[in-house]
Amino acid sequence: MNRSTIKLWWAQIKSVIRLEMKKTFFAKRGLWVYVLALLPFLLFIGHAIATSHQRDRRAQLALRNQKQLTSQDLQAIKSGMTSEEVIALLGKPPIRFHWNEQRPLEAGGSVNVARERYHYSDGTNDLFLELEDGKIERVDFSEGSNLGEDAIMFAGVFQFFYIRLAVFFGCLGIFMNLFRGEVLDRSLHFYFLAPIRREVLMVGKFLAGLLATCVIFVTSELLQIVAFTWHFSPNARDLYLYHHHGLAHAATYLGVTALACLGYGAFFLAAGMLFRNPILPAATILIWEAVNPFLPPLLKQISVIYYLKSLCPVSVPTPPGTPPLFALLVSNPDPVSGAVAVVGVVTVALLALSASGLQVRRMEINYTTE
Amino acid sequence: MNDRTRDFSNGRIVFENVSKFYGEILGVNRLNLSIPPGITSLVGPNGSGKTTLMNLMTGLVRPTRGQIRVLGYRTDEPEALFNILGYCTQFDAFPKGLTGYQFVYSYLRLGGRDAETAAQLAWQAIERVSLVDAAHRNIAGYSKGMRQRIRLAQALAHDPRVLVLDEPLNGLDPLARAEMIALFRRSAEQGCYVMISSHILHEVDVISDQVVLLSNGYVVAEGQIQSVRGEIREHPAQILIRCNRPRELAAKTMECEQTMEVCIHHDERGLLVKTRDADGLYLMLNQVALNGIEIESVAPADDDVNSVYEYLIGNDEVAR
Repeated sequence: MNRSTIKLWWAQIKSVIRLEMKKTFFAKRGLWVYVLALLPFLLFIGHAIATSHQRDRRAQLALRNQKQLTSQDLQAIKSGMTSEEVIALLGKPPIRFHWNEQRPLEAGGSVNVARERYHYSDGTNDLFLELEDGKIERVDFSEGSNLGEDAIMFAGVFQFFYIRLAVFFGCLGIFMNLFRGEVLDRSLHFYFLAPIRREVLMVGKFLAGLLATCVIFVTSELLQIVAFTWHFSPNARDLYLYHHHGLAHAATYLGVTALACLGYGAFFLAAGMLFRNPILPAATILIWEAVNPFLPPLLKQISVIYYLKSLCPVSVPTPPGTPPLFALLVSNPDPVSGAVAVVGVVTVALLALSASGLQVRRMEINYTTE
Repeated sequence: MNDRTRDFSNGRIVFENVSKFYGEILGVNRLNLSIPPGITSLVGPNGSGKTTLMNLMTGLVRPTRGQIRVLGYRTDEPEALFNILGYCTQFDAFPKGLTGYQFVYSYLRLGGRDAETAAQLAWQAIERVSLVDAAHRNIAGYSKGMRQRIRLAQALAHDPRVLVLDEPLNGLDPLARAEMIALFRRSAEQGCYVMISSHILHEVDVISDQVVLLSNGYVVAEGQIQSVRGEIREHPAQILIRCNRPRELAAKTMECEQTMEVCIHHDERGLLVKTRDADGLYLMLNQVALNGIEIESVAPADDDVNSVYEYLIGNDEVAR
């Protein structure tokens, strides 16, 4: 292989990419991929709008306090305290409901009970108090959103929806159609009649798919990060991005998304050549990825999610009371280092591409059997 | 070009004991062909194996057995093969969203040509098939004839030495047919290998240098049409003779042992002779001419593709 051959192959790959891009980006049957990619972005936008609205409401409420309150002030209120003690500590509640309740007695008849509900806010958190006959019966302290909690929520959405479902099925839709779609359209012969090595054609198509999926899913991920941090105050945002690894996390999420496109793309390209019906391989790969934590160590490594999980910057805690099987799915008991994970995904992708390379040489044009 | 795969001594398209089965269905069986330059027509009814033979030759399908070499090139190496070969298929589907020009241009770019050369060659090819006005229209809006012409342009664009054309005249109007036939003829005269499959036997007859007759996946006969005809011994040759004294000539020809039948033409200016010894008849005619009968013309009446096909494959399967 000399320099002119490589130059020729690169020119041919670029031609394939040019031809494929329009088809991949603007195919009507690929619209659902955009919907899938944008779903988490819409989720975070919705969350940001709701949180902003809540924060405005709390700020308005805090302005109506008799004195300036802090989170510690709110958390100092305990069950059993009297309304006078509460008012002494926090001032008169900005929102107060009171009503009388007739409560039946065991001996017959009923008794009148005075009930109250107070609502305080320090501008960030809410405190709801329920009082009966002037004594606190229930304290409900509701923390406002904070970047730490939102970062965990973001990690959960990323790991359990975005990578495992959105990117997975998006890659299925795009990569499986690279060859399969053209067999169904009966137009694959156009490529097979050109003076281009079949393997070079395969690489060109793969790179076109990778470019398309990366543009769609990495852009969506970027928008998600913007939506996720957008509603916090500039100070909180700067603190998170520049002092709490926020920027590094964002870059890692983008990188993991690109690696997911690479890994799943290579898998689905091979599957699209080997199988006529995409449902069977898609279901098999989905199950294979899902049961990865239960596989023996060697088999675990022939997977994309195994490496991607290790690369995710924020681990999602298992909520208490989670069933053990689900906890195992969520946890990552044997993570690998970042470098090993990247090399692992690339190796798995190369293995799948090698299988595609062998298969593309053997492919025949026989549309009548499709 | 890969020297390892190229046999320079072989200037032919060679099929060696090639068979192709689609599962249990026979595509072609035990093909042995050696195709020289010029126009070679593949003739046979639907399902006889014409398209399979062309697809085998271009690597779109792989042989179950045997091997194929196109001027020494292997068919499983498209990167080399399609530099010398252009294939106009019967598949009536195109990559979505392309104009006629983009279709030909993209094909050339896939071959690694730079933008300028590809554009130049694409326009030349489009001009050759007279589609310049529609070149920038989307192929989806083309008529059947236009789609056929743009496929031809794609096959011709890189000026290949081997042209494989599957029913290339389908959908073309008479004028376009004549233009295309002239184009194929010119290519053949320049030393190209032009392989054409067609159902339209009289057109094949006009343009072919040699024919390959196929039936049910087998080659029934191959070669120049006259020599193929000459080898069909069980059917006597039919010779039409125009002369001034047909009855006298009929009597003379009946004296020959090999003459089977003589019919005098209703205008009394000629006769049709069926004989098992055409050469003997021609010798006899020379002597007759010396004895005063004026022979205006002598022409074989059944050495066209249609007759040969009918003799070899049977009436039922003769394509119109």
